[in-house]
Amino acid sequence: MNMTLNRLPSITWYWLKMNNGFMEGVDPAGGAEIKDQIPAGVEKSVLSMADLPEQQTGMGKDMTTLVTESKPQVQVYTADRDKEVSDPVVLNFDYQAGKRAVNAVFLKAQRGAAVTVVEDFASGQDAEGFAAVQTRYLVETGATLKIIQIQRLGSGYTFLNDIGGRVEDQGRIEMIHLVLDGGHTYLGVQSDLAGYQASLKADIGYRVKGEGTLDINYFANHTGKKTTCDIDAKGVLRDQAKKVFRGTIDLKKGSSGSVGNEKEDVLMMDDTVRNQTLPVILCTEEDVVGNHGATIGRLDENTLFYLESRGMEKEAVYEMMADARVASVVHLIDSQTVRENVENYLAQNLDRNLSE
Amino acid sequence: MAEKTYVEDIDRSMYDFRYDEKDAYRIEEGLDPSIVEQISREKNDPEWMHDFRMKSLEIYNHTKMPDWGPSIEGLDMAHIATYVRPNTRMANDWDAVPEEIKDTFERLGIPQAERKSLAGVGAQYDSELVYHNVQDFAEKLGVVYSDIESALRGPYADMIKDHFMKLVPPTDHKFAALHGAVWSGGSFVYVPKGVHLEIPLQSYFRLNAKGAGQFEHTLIIVEDDAYLHFIEGCSAPKYNVANLHAGCVELFVGKNSTLRYSTIENWSKNMYNLNTKRALVQEGGKIEWVSGSFGSHVSYLYPMSVLAGRGASSEFTGVTFAGHGQNLDTGCKVVHNAPDTTSVVNTRSISKSGGISTFRSAVVINPQAKNSKSSTSCQSLMLDSESRSDTIPAMDVKTQQADVGHEAKIGRISDDAVFYLMSRGLPEDDARALIVSGFADNVGKELPLEYAVEMNNLIRLEMKGTNG
Repeated sequence: MNMTLNRLPSITWYWLKMNNGFMEGVDPAGGAEIKDQIPAGVEKSVLSMADLPEQQTGMGKDMTTLVTESKPQVQVYTADRDKEVSDPVVLNFDYQAGKRAVNAVFLKAQRGAAVTVVEDFASGQDAEGFAAVQTRYLVETGATLKIIQIQRLGSGYTFLNDIGGRVEDQGRIEMIHLVLDGGHTYLGVQSDLAGYQASLKADIGYRVKGEGTLDINYFANHTGKKTTCDIDAKGVLRDQAKKVFRGTIDLKKGSSGSVGNEKEDVLMMDDTVRNQTLPVILCTEEDVVGNHGATIGRLDENTLFYLESRGMEKEAVYEMMADARVASVVHLIDSQTVRENVENYLAQNLDRNLSE
Repeated sequence: MAEKTYVEDIDRSMYDFRYDEKDAYRIEEGLDPSIVEQISREKNDPEWMHDFRMKSLEIYNHTKMPDWGPSIEGLDMAHIATYVRPNTRMANDWDAVPEEIKDTFERLGIPQAERKSLAGVGAQYDSELVYHNVQDFAEKLGVVYSDIESALRGPYADMIKDHFMKLVPPTDHKFAALHGAVWSGGSFVYVPKGVHLEIPLQSYFRLNAKGAGQFEHTLIIVEDDAYLHFIEGCSAPKYNVANLHAGCVELFVGKNSTLRYSTIENWSKNMYNLNTKRALVQEGGKIEWVSGSFGSHVSYLYPMSVLAGRGASSEFTGVTFAGHGQNLDTGCKVVHNAPDTTSVVNTRSISKSGGISTFRSAVVINPQAKNSKSSTSCQSLMLDSESRSDTIPAMDVKTQQADVGHEAKIGRISDDAVFYLMSRGLPEDDARALIVSGFADNVGKELPLEYAVEMNNLIRLEMKGTNG
């Protein structure tokens, strides 16, 4: 099938070629193995796609069609009511070189629960392949769900990472997306802030290099009163990398008292990279505030000069600054084990890049 | 209990008057080759222009309607008369202009403005210029300001041919193609090298005919080291059928020259305003757009700056006020095509009484535009929950050696600001009125005083409220 992916909720001029991503000839596939660690207070079950509640996702209908036609067993993880789960649920997606995989996950934080779920998408360093994951979630009244996604796929991997969920009264969804490695990545997220005081906090850290591409569509859909969202993307582009970020805050009629913020900070490290940013605010409610900001540019010349004057090679400065940019998002991870795991990965990457 | 602050719609009474199309020549409604042929004959086109029109019509017929902006379903070209010629020839003396037409422009204040503060004036009524005059001192400087049809046949014919729809080709979009096919009227301005015209020129476009289209073409060429301020105004009476404005503005700014292009657009609320404006700026040159969008039922308006020479720059300052029945999709485009280019975008939009205001922009930094800088700021004010306000800014950066910034904010009138002003002694009504007026002042302060006053009169933000 041909897939239109990550379509902007409110499109703009076609000549910019920023309204959506597109993939040709994508066929359904079986699921990859998911190795999971499930702490006490979380139940695991399995459902079919038809059993899931209706939910739009960031990547759009074609992705849902792909997942549905792949007929995966949806892995369901449910945090018990009023239970604060201290250890994270860890889902390790083990992608093999040369394989294709389509998976589906449903995360449910029942009323008053608090739980963290880590989705770790990994393959061999230079592996090629295709992987698609649709993660849906439901955050019930007063619950908190934290999703940490770590992507460290091979440079030949195409990865479709699709998320969609709903947050009810005083519920909170927090997401950290770390795009550390991979070939062509599509990340689509839709969060329906439907309940009173529902909130979303999203932090995206990416580093795209080589001939890699990253296509993001982030959609905060405010329908509940006094809802809030904070979307913060930070990234680095190197070599011939290309990235498009579409961030939409939709303050719908009835979402009075809501506040939406989004910002993106992009560091362009080489002259052959390309960055496209489209931060959108849609507003049909008076009593709201929407803010967005974007800064796109190169490394500050004074910083570069200072570090070079202290004896560092220019390339080392670049690598260090790229690492620091992503590390600032990694530091937001609460779980020490998970954080250290990612920091070690980054340190190894830094060493390798500096020695190349 | 506090009454909700109410902001009045723009008072259009001074623009909403009309005269019958007495003795006017009106082409039949619709669009087909015979109509375009007829317009070409009426205009006595040179052969190349006749061929250009026919080719444009072909492109129009094969180009899709835009589907990314406001709906234009209410616009039926089968019911639009693309050419309406008033029963007069162009004059350079107001006394030679027919009484009703002269009265129209007098009520709009054009002759008075010419006497007071302009170096030249062009006045278009429906499809044709009815008055054109340039002051002696400007003529002595070598400034050419004429209707474009005369220029097509005069000493500047080759220049027109070399520039006409080269910046906005008919292939650009469906309504650029339509313009290429049926254009009529508009102005040609030529400012020679080194000439600084300190006093502005103005063209005023009035569409009086019901169910008609206006397709004027404005072509301005400012040679190197020169300066020009050009003011454009437009208005129409309101009818219960759709009218169409699909003008085209092409601006060529030479090396180290500056062109300021100011527009106060106040079409009636049955108007589809699908206008295209574009500037090409050479080395060290600057284009300054000042744009106030207050009228029309639907607007698609995004002046574009192509920064083609090293150190070229653009500034876009705009305000859009969308009230009941209006869907105004406005903004700008900037393409950085050369090193050391800079662009600044600063806009405000206000939505009320069900009005829809969309800020749409594109900043493209191409690979060769090393050391370029761009900054965009857009702010929107929502005055009620029946309205809509969107911002859709796109940035496409293709070189590392560029700095691009963007910020946007949507919100309502700040309670803190109202409180502060009230603590300084202002009644709440006045405090709110002051805030809303100040919000739109980014454009007002860029206009000559007379026009800033006109704009403020136009907005007429009347506030009403009581303290609880």
